[in-house]
Amino acid sequence: MGGLEHANWFMSAVFGSMCLIIVVSVLLAQRGREMFIRRIPGLAAIEEAVGRATEMGRPIFFSPGLSGINIVTLQALAILAHIVRLAATRATRLIVGVCDPPVYPVAEEAVREAYTTAGRPEAFRSEDVRFISDQQFAYALGSVGLMAREQVATNFFFGMFYAESLILAENGQALGALQVAGCPDPVQIPFFIATCDYVVIGDEYYAASAYLTREPTLTGSLVGQDIVKAVLICLVLLGVGVATFLGAAANLEHNFLLALLAKGN
Amino acid sequence: MGELLQSVFSPATTPVPLYTRLAISVAGSFVLLALLHRFLGPRGRRWLIAFVTFAGGLYLGLEYFLPVREQVLWPTGIPNPNPARKANILSPGIEPLGIMLSVILAFTVGLGVYSLCQVHGRNVAQRRPGWHNSLAFFLAMLAMLIFGFWAHYLPKVEPPPDIEPWPEGIYEVLFNGLFMPLQAATFSLLAFYIASAAYRAFRIRTAEAGLMMAAAFIVMLGQVPLGAWITSGLPTSGALAFFRLEALGEWIMSWLNTPAQRGIYFGIAIGGLAMSLRIWLSLERGTFFSEQG
Repeated sequence: MGGLEHANWFMSAVFGSMCLIIVVSVLLAQRGREMFIRRIPGLAAIEEAVGRATEMGRPIFFSPGLSGINIVTLQALAILAHIVRLAATRATRLIVGVCDPPVYPVAEEAVREAYTTAGRPEAFRSEDVRFISDQQFAYALGSVGLMAREQVATNFFFGMFYAESLILAENGQALGALQVAGCPDPVQIPFFIATCDYVVIGDEYYAASAYLTREPTLTGSLVGQDIVKAVLICLVLLGVGVATFLGAAANLEHNFLLALLAKGN
Repeated sequence: MGELLQSVFSPATTPVPLYTRLAISVAGSFVLLALLHRFLGPRGRRWLIAFVTFAGGLYLGLEYFLPVREQVLWPTGIPNPNPARKANILSPGIEPLGIMLSVILAFTVGLGVYSLCQVHGRNVAQRRPGWHNSLAFFLAMLAMLIFGFWAHYLPKVEPPPDIEPWPEGIYEVLFNGLFMPLQAATFSLLAFYIASAAYRAFRIRTAEAGLMMAAAFIVMLGQVPLGAWITSGLPTSGALAFFRLEALGEWIMSWLNTPAQRGIYFGIAIGGLAMSLRIWLSLERGTFFSEQG
């Protein structure tokens, strides 16, 4: 079945409502309303991971994943910018290995900007943002070689990863590096959990920039997305109720709940 | 306007218009970039990026949300070339926009090659440890470039029947004989990495790890004939059939794993939407351009 090429009225209404909730939440946050964000261990560990590299006097490796310029990679670059600012203030070297050519200039600019923001533009070295290869396994092996040669103390894997996730993280583990990973693809999360010290799971990945910077606009957006999630959970429960009691499944043969209730009588 | 777009983006069939358009596009792009670089300061650049991002997002968003019809006449009077695909007034621009994006992204491949040459060139020039690997990189890149272009673009000379044409032959050896097996060998390493990662993951140190180990044990046994054999004594229908390992494994996957995955996907989709909104409205400023405010 092909995807939806254009929105229907229901899709437009749902999408519009979700955007409205997020925008209203952002506006409320900008006007000074206090917003609470729960602690996310994977993101809270970033500072500790940078600190470890500083103490050991060894570099940090950051991989923004395999995908091109999209929302996942942009979020990875947002996290990268924060890590660069932290590393720059502590005079710790950070190496970025890029897989997709269009991501390379954007990553380089984000890193340069972050060094400037941190007040240490002279610390930026263009060779520390490297294009490795646009081939999945060539990239994985190139990154592993880089980690081994530079004896990295910390690895950050944020972005979209596929089969190479385990090659990267297992080798990082073997090197004794502290590893923090975040990937929006649930298929790769188990591999990262098995091999990394901290993992950012699911939508926590998109909470990163708000969590790390605590800027009101981003915090408002994060709280807005939580409200949308709560609304969707209510809609799912409503849908389950309707399908159970009123929909096509409302007969004893195919409805475990009704069958259970009937047994109880 | 539509006719102009159609004529500009229709493929050139003869060399002269093709090379003329290429030259005009490249020269025009350089002039435009030089002017922007010369006259736009950091603030102006920021505004330009924000404007282009907003305009691009608005166009694509409106194209998706505006009502569509089965058979729409383009604003130019040209009929919908694909009546099976519904379209609206903004649909004709989608394909040219995609082509423009592909062209812009193609330029970045050159930047990638530049980065590689910069890093490896320095390794060779300064005789850093492992410089011979960098030399191998240059040799491999040049070989692939020369024989790849040769095999694809230079006029083919028909060799005698018993001799394979050698530029194609060398390219075949380099790509299918070396590169592909190396990729496959790397992929096969995953089997060992999965084994060592699984060993660490399945060490039972907490209640959660124990639960995961039990679930994984049931699901894995449910997938193999041994699992079916272990519980083959249980009936295939009735209440006890649920405890056959294959049924139990299927139940864990369908009733526990799938809802959990869908829940995560819901969260990811909403997070992606919020992030898209922030990028579209240039609210993510602290990250890419400057501090907020």
